[in-house]
This record gives sequence, C-alpha cells and structure tokens, in this order.
Amino acid sequence: MAETASQQPSAAADNASCNAPAAPDCVNRRDFLLFAGATTVSITALGLFPASSAGVQPAQARIALYPRKRVGRVSRLELHKPTLFHYPFEEPHCNNMLVRLGTPAGGGVGANNDIVAFNQLCTHQGGLLEGQYQSEYRVLGPCPIHLTTFDLTRHGMVVAGHATEGLPQVLLAVEGDDILATGMMGLIYGYSNNRAGH
Amino acid sequence: MAEQYVPEDRVPLPPPDAKVFTTACDYCIVGCGYKAYVWPKGREGGPRKHENAFGIEFPTPTLSGRWISPNQHNVVAVDGKPHHVAVVADPDAEVVNRGGNHSIRGGVLAKKCFNPKTDTRDRLQRPLMRVNGKLTPVSWDLALDVMADVSKHVIEKYGEAAWGMKTFSYQFFENTYAISKLAFTSVQTPAYAPHDKPGPGSDTAGVDDSGIVTFSACYEDWEMADVIYISGTDPYETKTVLFTEWIMKGFPKVLIYALPRKTTGVAFAEQNGGLYLPVIPGTDALVHMAISRIILENGWEDREWIEKHIANKWEIGSGFGRGTRNTPWQWRTTWGKLGADFAGYKKWLLANKDAELDRASRITGVPVDRIRRAAELMAKPIKGKRPKTSIGFEKGCYWSNNYLNTASIAAMGLLCGAGNRPGQMISRFGGHQRGWISAGSYPRIKSPEKFPGRRKKEIDLDRWAENGNLRFAYVVGTTWTNAMAASDELAKRFNEMTCENPHKIPRADRRAATEALLARVDSGGMVFVHQDIYFQRPIGTDMADLVLPAATWGECDFTRCNGERRLRLYSKFYDPPGEAKPDWWIISRFAKKMGYEGYDWNESNDVFEEAARFSRGGVLDYYPLVYKARRDGVKAHELLRSYGTTGIQTPIRLVGGQLVGTKRLHDSTLELGTPEGPTIHAKWLTAFKTHSGKALLHKTPWDLFSDFFERITPTGDELWMTNGRINEIWQSAFDDKRRPYIMQRWPEQWVEIHPDDAKARGIESGDRVRIENDDVLIQTGGFVGVDGDDLSFTKLNERGLIRVGRGACEAVAVVTSAVRPGLLFTNFLDTGSPSNSLVHRVPDPMTNRYRFKLGKGRIRKIGESPYKHSFEKMTFASRNITGIVT
Repeated sequence: MAETASQQPSAAADNASCNAPAAPDCVNRRDFLLFAGATTVSITALGLFPASSAGVQPAQARIALYPRKRVGRVSRLELHKPTLFHYPFEEPHCNNMLVRLGTPAGGGVGANNDIVAFNQLCTHQGGLLEGQYQSEYRVLGPCPIHLTTFDLTRHGMVVAGHATEGLPQVLLAVEGDDILATGMMGLIYGYSNNRAGH
Repeated sequence: MAEQYVPEDRVPLPPPDAKVFTTACDYCIVGCGYKAYVWPKGREGGPRKHENAFGIEFPTPTLSGRWISPNQHNVVAVDGKPHHVAVVADPDAEVVNRGGNHSIRGGVLAKKCFNPKTDTRDRLQRPLMRVNGKLTPVSWDLALDVMADVSKHVIEKYGEAAWGMKTFSYQFFENTYAISKLAFTSVQTPAYAPHDKPGPGSDTAGVDDSGIVTFSACYEDWEMADVIYISGTDPYETKTVLFTEWIMKGFPKVLIYALPRKTTGVAFAEQNGGLYLPVIPGTDALVHMAISRIILENGWEDREWIEKHIANKWEIGSGFGRGTRNTPWQWRTTWGKLGADFAGYKKWLLANKDAELDRASRITGVPVDRIRRAAELMAKPIKGKRPKTSIGFEKGCYWSNNYLNTASIAAMGLLCGAGNRPGQMISRFGGHQRGWISAGSYPRIKSPEKFPGRRKKEIDLDRWAENGNLRFAYVVGTTWTNAMAASDELAKRFNEMTCENPHKIPRADRRAATEALLARVDSGGMVFVHQDIYFQRPIGTDMADLVLPAATWGECDFTRCNGERRLRLYSKFYDPPGEAKPDWWIISRFAKKMGYEGYDWNESNDVFEEAARFSRGGVLDYYPLVYKARRDGVKAHELLRSYGTTGIQTPIRLVGGQLVGTKRLHDSTLELGTPEGPTIHAKWLTAFKTHSGKALLHKTPWDLFSDFFERITPTGDELWMTNGRINEIWQSAFDDKRRPYIMQRWPEQWVEIHPDDAKARGIESGDRVRIENDDVLIQTGGFVGVDGDDLSFTKLNERGLIRVGRGACEAVAVVTSAVRPGLLFTNFLDTGSPSNSLVHRVPDPMTNRYRFKLGKGRIRKIGESPYKHSFEKMTFASRNITGIVT
C-alpha cells in the first residue's frame, strides 16, 4: 500500500471542517443517495447505477468520509482474487477485502462497476470472514462461527444468518488506475462509533 | 411500506449506571436470554471500560457478546420520559444462548419497541369502534360495555357455542390463563381454537400416543447426540441458537435431514458427513417405515432397551395402556388397527408392502441408497457400539400427514433406543415458546363434534364459523384467516358475515352500537372483536367491530417457558403506548362487565400466582416456585426475577427446601426421592407417559392417508406448494414489517422454485409470479362420525361434504435448486399474500389437524419485481452455501 492512512478521521463530528485531501465531496457526514438523480459527485464516487425499476426507493446510506487511501490498482486486481487492506484505521477490526466480482454491484467502481470492498468482521459476533469469499455466488461467508453469509453485490446484505447489520461497505473511488478507499458505510464490528476513531 | 434501512455508523453505549432488566426473546421456541439496558436520554456511556455498563473496552473482541449494533438500540418512554434502550443477548448467559449468542430475529428485538419516530408508530393505542365502517377511538368502558352487551345476548339466545375465541396459545402465562379462564371456566364455550389450528388438542398425536411428551429433551441432548434425525424443519433457519449453540457443538455429529428443501443446515450436514433425504411433503411416514424396516431386517434395533422400555402385549391390551374407556385416545384403539407390541409391530412392518424400499422410495422421492444409509447411520452398531441417536421433528412432519408421520417417527426413534436418556431423545424442536396455562379443561362434552366410536372431538372452529354457527368471535393476537387453511375462502365467508352484513354501528354510543350488533347477530351475521398490538389485515382493518390495543413484551412483567421448559420472567422495562393494556387486564375488565367472578387482578403477578395451581402435576408445573415465594414473603414474579435469564426448568420440584428444575422428561437416569411439600413426582419424569410407563409402538397403515394424498397430488402443470418459516422473519412479520433492516432482505412474499420448473415457465429470479389453485378442497360438514370410516376423506367426499374453492397468492420468484423439482416453497404467513390460500382445509380425520404443508398450484410470471434489477432490496443469492467450516 502506497498511502498510509491517517489515524484521525476527518469526520469527527457533524459540521466539523474537512481536512481530507482531495475528498470527492467536502462533507464530513451526510446522507448519500446511492442512485442517479441524487448528488452528482457522490454518485461518481460510488459508481452506482440508475434505478432501473420504479417501486424501489433509492437506498440511503449514512457515509462518513475518511482520509483517502490507495487500496489497489484496477489493472492488477484479478477477478475473484480478494486483496486485503486496513481502513479507515490501521487496527485489527478495520480488516477489509477488495474484490472484483465480475458482475455489477451496489457501490461497485471500475468500468464494470464490479469492484467492491467490505469489512471482514461478521456483524453477528465478529467472526473473521477472511478466505470465505464464494466466487460463484459473490457472497462472503459462511462465517466460520455461526454460518452467516453476506451478498457483496447488494451492499453486504445478509443472505442467511444472524447479523443484525449488513456488512460495512468501504466507499471506493477510481482515479486513473488507482482504487481509493474514501469512506465507510455501517458500523464496524466491535466499534461503538466509527467516527470516534481508534 | 417500511422505511429505508440506513446503516448507522455509531450507537449510544449504556453508561455504567444504566438500569439492567433481564428478559428472554419474544420470538422463537429457543427463548434466548436477553438484557435490556435502559438509561435517560441526554447522556451516553463511553468506549473505555469504566465508561460503559459492560465494563469492556471498545472496540470489543470477537465473541465478546458485548457489542451493540445500531439495530439493537432504540429510544423508548419510561414513565413518560425518553430513554435509550439497548436490548442485547445476555453475554453472561450460561444456558440457552451461552455467552450471548443470538439469531437475527432476537438480535433486533430493540426495534420492536414502540417509538413514534419509527415504523412502530402505527401501534394500536386506543380502543376503536367501527362506526359507519370507519374505526373511531372510543373509551375502554364503552368498548367493553358493548362487547359485554352483545356477548350476553349471544350466549343467552344462541348458547355458549355461538360465542367463541380464537387466540394465541403462547403469548405468556398471565394472558393465556386469563383467556382460558374466560373461555373454559366462565363462558364454558367449546368454540375455542388456538392461533395455529382449528381447535384445541395435541399437534403430535402419534408421538403422544407413544407415551412421549413432545418437549421432553433439553438442549444439551442435541449436543450430546451422535446422530440426529431432523424431520420437517431446519433448526438453523427457525431455532437458530439451538443449532448454532447446541447442535453445531459437540461435533463430530451426523445430521440426517428429511426436508423438501436443501437449507443452510442441510448443506452444513452434508459437509459434515450427514445426509439429506429430499422427501415429498406428506410422505415422511413411508420414509420412517422403510428405515425402521431396514433396521429390523438387519437386527440393528436396540433389543435390550426395547425389552425393558417397550410395552408388551399385556401392557398394550388396554387402549395403548391408557385404559379402554373414556380417554380422548380410545377411539384409535377400538379397531385394533394401530396398537402393537414389538413382535406384532415387527411382523406387521416386515409384511407391509408400502414399507418396501423400492416402493417407499418411489412414493417419497427419496433415493433408496439414502434411505438405506439413514438406517445404517441411525442404528448400525460401530465396533459393537450403538450410536446415540435422537429424533427432532417439527411442522413439515406433523402438519402434512399428522397421525401417520408422528406415530411412525416415534416408532423409528424407539427402535433406535431413543426417548428416555441423555443424547437419545425423541422431541419436538418447537415453533413458538410454551406460554399456555389453562385455567380449566376444554369443555369437550359440549363440542358439536365427535369421532366415530365413543370419543368426543374438539371443535373445528373454522368449519363451525363458516357454517354460520358462530355469532360472536373474540380474536386475540392472531390473524385467524391468513393463518388457517384455504384462507381466501375463509376471509370471503367472514366478510359476508361481518362487513357485508347491512347492520353496522351508526354512532359511538352504547345503545346504538349494541342495537346494531344485535340486529347483525340475529340476521345470521357475526360480530368480531380483535385485540392485538397492530392492525391485522383483514381481520382488524376490515372486519372487526371493535379493535382493542394490547400491551406486549417489555411493557408488562410476563412469564413463560422455552423449548426445554425453562421458565423466565420477561421484565417490563418501558411504557406501553397510549392506552394499550395487557391482554389479562382487558379480559378481566370484560369478565367483570359480564358479571363473572374471580378477575380481581391488579398486576400480572396476581395472575401468575393464581395460575400456578393449574400448572400442578403438568409439564409446566411451577407451583413450588409460588409456594416458596409465599413462604419467603416475596412475590412469585420477584422470586423468578432473581433467577435472571437462567430461569428454572419445569416441572419445578422442591428438594431440601430449594427449588430444583427438571432437565429432561422420561429421564431413566434421574433419581427422585420423596416428593417434598407441593412437589408432584409425575411418573413421566422417569418413565414414559403411558399407564405402564413403557413406550408404545403403533402400526401406521398408509391407506389411512392415501385417499386424500392421491386426490391432492399435483397433476398436469400443477406443482406442490409447501411453506414454512424463513430465518430472518418471525411469524406474520408483525414486528419485522416495521424493521427496515429486515424488510430490505424480505420486502414481500417470495417463492422458491426449482430451475427446471422455472425454465419451463419462463420464470427468472426477481420475477413477480402468481400462484393459483382452483382446486382447494374444503370440508363443509362431517361434525359427527358414527361408523369407523365416516370421517375418512373418501366417505366425506361420497357424502358431498367436500367442496372445491379457490385460492391465489403473488410472490417474487427465487429460482434455486434448493427446492425439489415439482415443488414450490414460500413463507408460511405473509399476511399480504397468504400462501395458506392454496392449502386444502380438510383436517386429518384422526386428529383434526390441518395439512398446511400440502398445498398445490399453478405458477406463472406476471411481470418483474423492482428487486430484479436493484441492489437495494432482496437478494437472490443461494442460502445454502457451504464454505470452509471449522
């Protein structure tokens, strides 16, 4: 990893000043609309698709932006070969996987919108999901402890199991060949407040 | 529609001085222990261990049991003031959910709590009267006065059987005691049915007849077993912590699943040396019989145990050992068709054509090699050592072919030597928790129904009401129509009798309302009172003349038992919304207006203490707890509270002045002394529940079921339509509908279809489909049976007592090879699109239980759901993925 993550989140509190370098949108905490028709910069950053059907409301997510960190290169990211990185903090709970799914995904970036990143601690009881990526199904899991599975094409939604939150998703952006982590959606297992940092 | 799920990235922590209340989960049978941390809004705990009530540093480690997710937090009112609440699986639990394990259902309990800023804002808060078709708030007094006026008229003019109740059977002892006291002691009506069946009585008659109490096992038995035969359920899906905390522990263990659907638990079983028997619904009896036959052919049965614990021919001679006369079971003995000693059973089974491997395989759809392998795994000694085999079963088994499946599964287990020792038990896994205490016996003598022979039969309340015999119905905490078979037809008939009747309440005053409702009743119509926490469609929204707001879990101190008979106090920790009251309170006020005595209860503890003596000698006996509390000068609820989330397993006994729980029933290893004080030593504590104390084998002739089965087997392009629970949803989703997190996963009714069936019909995952059955069979009469086969399907049909109705439901298709070809699987109780509408309403003639799992229908695509191309709601990913599991 080229960049070193700052230990201090830029999103310490609502309305705090933004010190994240080159943040796509200088907001610390805001409601993001994940679909087109919402704020433009956010959508570029999220790499999402227009809602193709009526009836589904655009999903909202509360996303906190953190100092950007390069987590991979588009040209070197192989299909179904997860790579690991820590974000937003260099701390064991912030253990994430970056993967190219081969099919478009919610929050996916890249030309095919198929590059996603998620935290790897199960939001049931913190089981480590590392190595449990199932390429056939684009699912992370089953968790080795209690078998929960998460759909990586759908913002880490529980497919089957016990987690009371989806898997926290890392907000990604692509700049040139660089894949950048820029924010987090969802509380990381073990934390009481992502933004309070570690 | 639920609000959008917005993942939060922070959650308030309870400060060290937060109040801690113990409770247990409101939902499934497992009954995990929970703690509610409550503290005033305006302050929070911190991430350092001295700053929070858990005394732990954040971020917490894996399996800490002390992490709160945002869905485990809410804001509630306590004494009218806003408070934070965190509802967390008890990290200190040493029983049930050891260390704070939990399911997704219980894990989001906090979001059940009433908070007007969430989707719970539509909780019923005031009594409502339907005035000119519009529900209008009225006072408790007016609502209950009108209810009493109409009830008195109905009972006086038409008799008790015209006044009925349809209620939950599980939502806490205090409430069910009040319900049963009103129905059976005060009104003494036979027109009563629990939420999940057409009338009172056992769900698993074949197992009961064998002398086995259906919740005899303790959770540790599932951990101790070497082999578990799991029938008609996947405990991973629906009794999650029983699976993840007990069945998954103590491995290596072989799990054999008999299900039409390959679920997560099945995938796990196969990966760990287990076996999947993809059975066609309703045919389990033949699988059991074929397995039993292989066991007997090979001499793998536990002969030494059988000689000691199975009734011999002298012991079965008198009505299954229960006595020949006047027992509810005796009619089944009259024809000598079923009862057998071991030699008789063996002879019958070995000569039985239906139990032959090839034939059984053909009818059940289970390959011969798997049936053979199942028999081996369950009973073949390995190096001279018998495997410890247990049998666990649930509704796929007993709500499809009720008597034959339950009697044959018990026999199969008994041949393996299961039923009365650690790790070798025959038990239900369970659905909801055990919350029924009856104040009196069901007045069977007044029931309009009768089996052939001498035995009276409990009512089929649906048929009774459809035939126009019910004039007043008091419905508590159930959807009634959606939860019963042929639901569209039932709703249609109830509609005719209520909202389509011209007599409607014109004004919200006692006289005008009563006059209108009496005119309704006298014109052949029906008056509905619906008591619940939310509106239920259609019963509350469209039909009920009065809608009464109930208080529920967390809003009043309640008690009940879980699937290993563990009694706990479910603490009140916040205010009920508006004027909502617990069911026992509402019933007591109504009973007083009716002039009934014995309802002077001021708090739920009064009801709990009064009910105790009615539990005496039964499986849920907690009388010694109340006895001790009185001796100690404390309230029984308070004594139970001191037992926290551990509680105590019933029947409770007094030993050396201390309360002692009972781990398992029929326990041949249990040493009992002299019963002390109020303690009762029922014989089934250490022996089977028969006159002799020995278990009974029953022959299960397939022709008692085959006429119905052949008639309802899908033909042409029809498919079997079966249904069940799904992990992420509890019951009718009455709470889940109001949780955006759950609704993003399952926003509406869904149906699983095999890829071959889907392809033939041009259906893809995410398509919206319609499933129709224009051949829904409904029994219309046959209240009284005289000759032996009077109530058989064939005879009912010949007598013109079966009519054909229709049903339909819509769903989102999930194409998956998890289901058998030729079979659809859907959520059992989606009130918006009930799959029970496709299910026949012809109960098992031997037991009066519906065959909920044996629907059928034609499925076609009607469009695309919004979820087909969305990343935001619903996933179509496979649910039975196996990874690297340790």
